[in-house]
Amino acid sequence: MSGMPGALGPRRAECFRRLDMADSGQTGKLTDTEFCSELLSPSDLFAARSRSHKIPVRGQKDFLPDGSDQQRERLQRSLDEHWNLIAEERVERLGNLVKAKWIPSKGLVELQSPAGKFWQTMGFSEHGKQVLFPEEALYLMECGNVQVFYHDLPLSIQEGYERFLSKGTVSLHQYQVFAHLKRLGYVVTRFEPRFVYAQQLNLPQPRDRQERNLKRKRSHSPASGETDRQEEQAGDVEDQRPDSGSNVDPAALCSGEDERPVAGGSEETGSAADSAPQRSWWVEQATCPEVRHSRRSGPRWDFSAISFPDLGCRGRPHSLAAPDPSLLPGALSVGSCDVAPWLQKLNLREERVSRRERERERERAWFRRGVNEDREVRRCRNWAEYHCLLERRSRHSRRDRPAHLWEGAVTPLLQPGQYTSPGDLLNRISVIQPSRLLEGASRLGQASEEWRISFNVYQPDTVADFKKSNPGKPYSRMSVCSFEEPVPDLRALKQLSLQSGDVPVTFAVVDHGDISFYSFKDFQLPTDVSH
Amino acid sequence: MDAQEVTGSEVVMKIGNNVAQAEIGVNEDNMEKGAISGSAQKCRKIQVRFCGSTPLLWRTAEVRAARESGVVGTLVGSLPRQPRQNNRLGRPLELLQEEARLLTETGRAVLCPAVDPESSEATSSHEVEQHLEMLERSYEEQKALALQDRKSVLMRVLTQKQEDTDSGECSEQAVQDRLEALEKSFSLPRSAMAVQLNTARAGLGHDPEERHFLAADWLQPRDERSEIRFRVFRDLRRQGYYLTSAGKFGGDYLVYPGDPLRFHAHFIALCVSMETMTPLCDLLALSRLGANVKKTILLCSPSDGDGGEEEEEVVYTSLQWSGMV
Repeated sequence: MSGMPGALGPRRAECFRRLDMADSGQTGKLTDTEFCSELLSPSDLFAARSRSHKIPVRGQKDFLPDGSDQQRERLQRSLDEHWNLIAEERVERLGNLVKAKWIPSKGLVELQSPAGKFWQTMGFSEHGKQVLFPEEALYLMECGNVQVFYHDLPLSIQEGYERFLSKGTVSLHQYQVFAHLKRLGYVVTRFEPRFVYAQQLNLPQPRDRQERNLKRKRSHSPASGETDRQEEQAGDVEDQRPDSGSNVDPAALCSGEDERPVAGGSEETGSAADSAPQRSWWVEQATCPEVRHSRRSGPRWDFSAISFPDLGCRGRPHSLAAPDPSLLPGALSVGSCDVAPWLQKLNLREERVSRRERERERERAWFRRGVNEDREVRRCRNWAEYHCLLERRSRHSRRDRPAHLWEGAVTPLLQPGQYTSPGDLLNRISVIQPSRLLEGASRLGQASEEWRISFNVYQPDTVADFKKSNPGKPYSRMSVCSFEEPVPDLRALKQLSLQSGDVPVTFAVVDHGDISFYSFKDFQLPTDVSH
Repeated sequence: MDAQEVTGSEVVMKIGNNVAQAEIGVNEDNMEKGAISGSAQKCRKIQVRFCGSTPLLWRTAEVRAARESGVVGTLVGSLPRQPRQNNRLGRPLELLQEEARLLTETGRAVLCPAVDPESSEATSSHEVEQHLEMLERSYEEQKALALQDRKSVLMRVLTQKQEDTDSGECSEQAVQDRLEALEKSFSLPRSAMAVQLNTARAGLGHDPEERHFLAADWLQPRDERSEIRFRVFRDLRRQGYYLTSAGKFGGDYLVYPGDPLRFHAHFIALCVSMETMTPLCDLLALSRLGANVKKTILLCSPSDGDGGEEEEEVVYTSLQWSGMV
């Protein structure tokens, strides 16, 4: 029994009549509100064109009911105003409404007519169709911008709430926060943790996205002409799902952010050229992805159990054993592989790097000087000599300290001459080290189900330049909770801030329609060095 | 069904057992003029809908009827008149669990669980036809209204002109011609037609009675805490106070002496069981907070004598910060 204004029949007519009689003494326009239906007649609809958009102001409240007529009158006036305001139904010009269709199987709302201005900050294209997330559609329904149909009948706001908001999509609480922020003008998008990881770790974007990108570039084929036209109508169209904070799209990854290939690639190949025969690069590489993947929501492979071929080691095998079939996609079968010809082709020449890259490399080296660069260390021929050297050095540094202080079990925290500024000194002798929110967060493992980030929030003043494909860094991220639930513990806090990276996490606490925002901030006690 | 009596701000509820079939009843405005002598009436029950586990009211008349029995709730939807602001919100009205329970226990409301979206999907083409037919009718009527509107504007303009120029000759004919021309040329573009975006589900829906027992456990499971909260809520309501949620004040309820639309809250009610030990610093923090927002902290503990619902007693302790000068 979904919205079918036509099926009301004589029962309702009777109901109207009876009410008219009963309410004849009532004030205001309330006569047409009754329990059964709140349908407007054509003349009501017509009259609604010229209705006021002002919200009555609420006067000063009184302290105590004193039973006076005056006070009662004021209350009655406020109540009448209130009910008029609440009873008002949405009436829109048909031409201003974007038609859309609810698709329960996908949990999405598909637009049937060209999108309006909202397309700049909401919705995404999928298979050439413009679609909205249910929370976006519901918000736009409430704003009177979109009319959503299901089985060719328009859905009421009530049906929107009942159908769109579920455990699978967003909860009522989450929607309340979403709508609250949207009403204030913020741009709010769904948060998807994997995109943030990808951004933080500079991992390539998920496959399907790249494919979609490629498709888009080719989209001037006649087959997709229809969608092109649609998209153009919608103005400056952003094709992607709002990637919740990942401001890296694959193209930007390659062109704009060239740090990654340099950091990973050149350095390793460069030093590999020097010392390739002794070091086993493959093994080291293999541990890297493990760390990365274990932080993602579900590691697909256990990299510690997968052995990668070690082609850099001295005793190179001339052929590689066949890989474990369970790691191969589909029905692909790969036998053992002869690597000898490939090894011959291995380029051992020094890599030519641009000046900029070299400079960057030098900068990096400055901060992370290898032990091998120490000339004295190089002179050591074996471990014994190296240990000797270390011992000699430490003795040297202890030369002018009072030896007896270091004889017992308890020794001073400081060496003479070790620090020159009081700040460093105080830092050194502080017993409890300050901890930052992000410290050790990555070791905490999987984020708990209880606490999660729901939305990215961008400030209203960025709306004009907002691009869904490249939304940039959010102003904040929202985690939705309620007063009935416990306060997040340190573990949850750390996990959420790790997930969010360098964007602050705000907790939106929903209390029966009231929403309060709280955030936990890192705070470093300053070291007082003036005394 | 129940009867209600209103005298001043004191609300006394009698729970009767009216068995009259009251499918469609009359909704009388009790607050009207304040001094209506109590009159029993048949009243269609308020239908409490659910979104997840949150009780919601959708129809204005229901929101109003709830308010008249002292249940305030919180409006959580966008206001149709000005959707993009948060100061005044519109339907739906979100109820506290206690509010929903009080309404049902006093027989004013029935709980209607959300229709399972998967189950009731057989919309016939007949309904679609009816909908389209209704749209068409609405369009025709609006067209007629728009034409009339235009005509009256034209008439006004023409008479104005006539008076200005004061040349009465053959003006009658001219007016007639203009009107006819308008009638011929007039057309209301379909896009200009006004349509309603319903707030509440249209149609009568199912008979609420029939669903009532199915909905028995739609409210949150009743643990000790929610039981305490409910007993306090019911008692304060019986005494004529209006209550709203006080999460942002760190309490359970804000207690208003009259309708929250016109009065400030006086108390922050905190529901604690008799046995609970509360640390002194918590009490200090609370009363300090209360002093800052000019409210009194009210510790509410239902007494344990479980001797019948009617004689139930709640013990109230008020805490107020008093500075010594």
